[in-house]
Amino acid sequence: MILFTSLGLLALLALSIPVGIVLFLLGFGIDTLFSPFPLMRGLGQVVWSSSNSATLIAIPFFVLLGELLVRSGVAQRTYAALESWVSWLPGGLIHANIATATLFSATSGSSVATAATVASVATPQAERLGYDPKLFSGAIAAGGTLGIMIPPSINLIVYGFLTETSIPKLFLAGLIPGFALALLFMVVTVIFCVIRPSLGGPGTSASWQKRINGLVDLVPLLGLFGAIVGSIYAGWATPTEAAAIGVAMAFAIAASQRAITWQMIVASLKGTIRTTSMIMLVVIGAYVLNFVLTASGVSRALQDFLQGLGLGALATLLVIVVMYIVLGFFIETLSLMVATIPIVVPIVEQLGYDKLWFGILMIILVEMALITPPVGLNLYVVQGVRKSGTLFDVMLGVIPYALAMLVMVGLLIAFPAIALYLPEHI
Amino acid sequence: MTTLLSLLRMLNEKLAVAAGLLLLISVCVTLYDVIARPFGMSIGGTDELSGYAMAVVTSWGVSYALTCLAHVRIDIIRARGNAKVRAWFDAVSILSLAAVAVTVAYRAWPVLAKSIANNSTANTTLETPLWIPQSLWMAGWLWFALSAVVMAGCVCAFLVAGRHDDIEEFAGSRGEA
Repeated sequence: MILFTSLGLLALLALSIPVGIVLFLLGFGIDTLFSPFPLMRGLGQVVWSSSNSATLIAIPFFVLLGELLVRSGVAQRTYAALESWVSWLPGGLIHANIATATLFSATSGSSVATAATVASVATPQAERLGYDPKLFSGAIAAGGTLGIMIPPSINLIVYGFLTETSIPKLFLAGLIPGFALALLFMVVTVIFCVIRPSLGGPGTSASWQKRINGLVDLVPLLGLFGAIVGSIYAGWATPTEAAAIGVAMAFAIAASQRAITWQMIVASLKGTIRTTSMIMLVVIGAYVLNFVLTASGVSRALQDFLQGLGLGALATLLVIVVMYIVLGFFIETLSLMVATIPIVVPIVEQLGYDKLWFGILMIILVEMALITPPVGLNLYVVQGVRKSGTLFDVMLGVIPYALAMLVMVGLLIAFPAIALYLPEHI
Repeated sequence: MTTLLSLLRMLNEKLAVAAGLLLLISVCVTLYDVIARPFGMSIGGTDELSGYAMAVVTSWGVSYALTCLAHVRIDIIRARGNAKVRAWFDAVSILSLAAVAVTVAYRAWPVLAKSIANNSTANTTLETPLWIPQSLWMAGWLWFALSAVVMAGCVCAFLVAGRHDDIEEFAGSRGEA
C-alpha cells in the first residue's frame, strides 16, 4: 500500500501529468484498491468544502497584491535605496540584491515574481560595474525564495490549511528564521568575497545624506509589510482581512507611481486567477488525497512501517529531510510541499515534533527546491532575465546560498526555539 | 480545430477577468468589514460570502489556467524527448486531466442536487440557500470538464494527424509557476 502510494506518485509525476491531477488520480487509485467502502461518492462534497473557505481566499488576495506590486515599478526605487545602505560591505551590490529580494518577496509573497523583478532591476548594474555574474545572479535567485518564509506567505497559508495549524502562529514562527536566513545569506556573501574578491565587484559608498533621503523610498514596502503583519498580531484582522488591506495599499502604491491603467489591472487580475487556480487545483487534489489516505488507513500503515524500522525520532526526521532535498531536485516548491503534507506531517507529529515548527522546517527545505537544478524555477527565471551568460553560472552562484539554507535547517533542528519563541511568547 | 482552441482560449480569458472582478468585489467587502467593525457597522457573514467567492473563483479559474498551460507539470523526462515523444506525453497528460475533470463535475452534481432537494440553507445568520453558490460552483467545474474534453479531443486528432507543433502550442508545458 505504501509502496503503491509512493511509486504511483513518482510515476504519475514523471509522466508530466499536472501535479494536482496526479493527486486526484492517486486518491482514486487508493480508493479503488484499498478502501473497504467507496469514498469517491463523497468527492463532490470534499471538493466543495475544500474550496469554500474564507481562509483560502487570502491566497488570491496576496497573489493580487504581488501582481500589483510587480507592475507598480516600486522595486526600482527600493533597490536604489537599499543599495546606498548595504553596498559598502564586501560583495557590494550583491547585498542590495539580497535585501531587495527579501523585502520584495516578503511583501509580494511570490518567489518567482520577485526573482524576475529584482533580476530585471539589478542586472543592468552588474554589467555596468563589471560584477562576476555567478554570485550576483545566485543571490537574486536565493533571495527570492525567502518570501515563502517571511509573512505574509502563501505557502504557510496552504500548510496551515492542510494541517489545521494556526496561520497567524505560523506567520510568527516564520519571522525570525526568515530574517535570520537573509542575514546568513549576507554573511556567506561577505565570507566568499573576502576570500575571493573576484567573485564580487566594486562596492559603492553613499553619503549619509543620500541614505537618509533614500529611506522615503523604503516607506511603501516597509509600510505594507508593517500593516499586514501588524494588523494580524494586534488582533485587528484575520490573515484574509490583512490581505485585503494589503491589496488596497498596493493599489495606493501603484497609484503613487502613476502605474495604474485599465490594462495593468486586467493583466494583474488575469495573472491572479491563473496563479490562484494553479495553486488551488493542487491544494484540492491534496485535500482529496488526504481524505482518502486517512479514511483508508494508509496514513496509519505508513506510521506503523516507520515505527517498525526502529529508527529514533531524530533519525526518522533526518531521513525525511534528505528525502525533501532529493525530491527538491526534481519537483518545485508548492507541488513538493502539498503532495507530501498528507503523508509526512502525520508521521512527524507521531514522532513527537511540533507541526508548527515542522512547517517552518519544511518551508526552508522546499525553498531549496526552488534553486536546486535541474528543476529550480528561480534559476530559470533569473537566467531568463539575464539574457547573457549560461544557466550554469546561476547554478554555481546559488551553491553558497543553498549551503546557508542547510546550515539553517541544522540550526532549526538543534534549536527549535528559533521558530517557536515568538509564537509561544506573543 | 486550431480556431476552436483559440476561441476556447479567448473565452477563458474573458471568464478569468470576470472571476478577477468577483475577487476585487470580495476585497472591497472584506475591507468594508474591517473598517466598519470599530463603528459597529459591519455586515455579518463576510466570511461566508468570501468562502463562496473562493469556491466560485477557483472552479471557473481552473479552465483559464488550463488553456494558458499554467497547471504545473514535472517535465524533466518529457523535455528530453523529441517533438513526437513530447506530443505523446502531452496527450497522456490532457487525457488524464479530462478524465479527472469529468469525474469531479459528475461528483459535484449530487452536492447541488441534495441542496436543491432538501432546500438546504447555510447554518449561519445569512441562511443563504446553498443552491445559489453551489450552482455557480458546479457550473465552473462543468465548464472545466467541457474545456478539457474539447482539448483532449483536439489533441488526439492532432496526434493522429502528426501535428506535433499544434499539440505543443495548445497542450504543451510552460515551466512556470
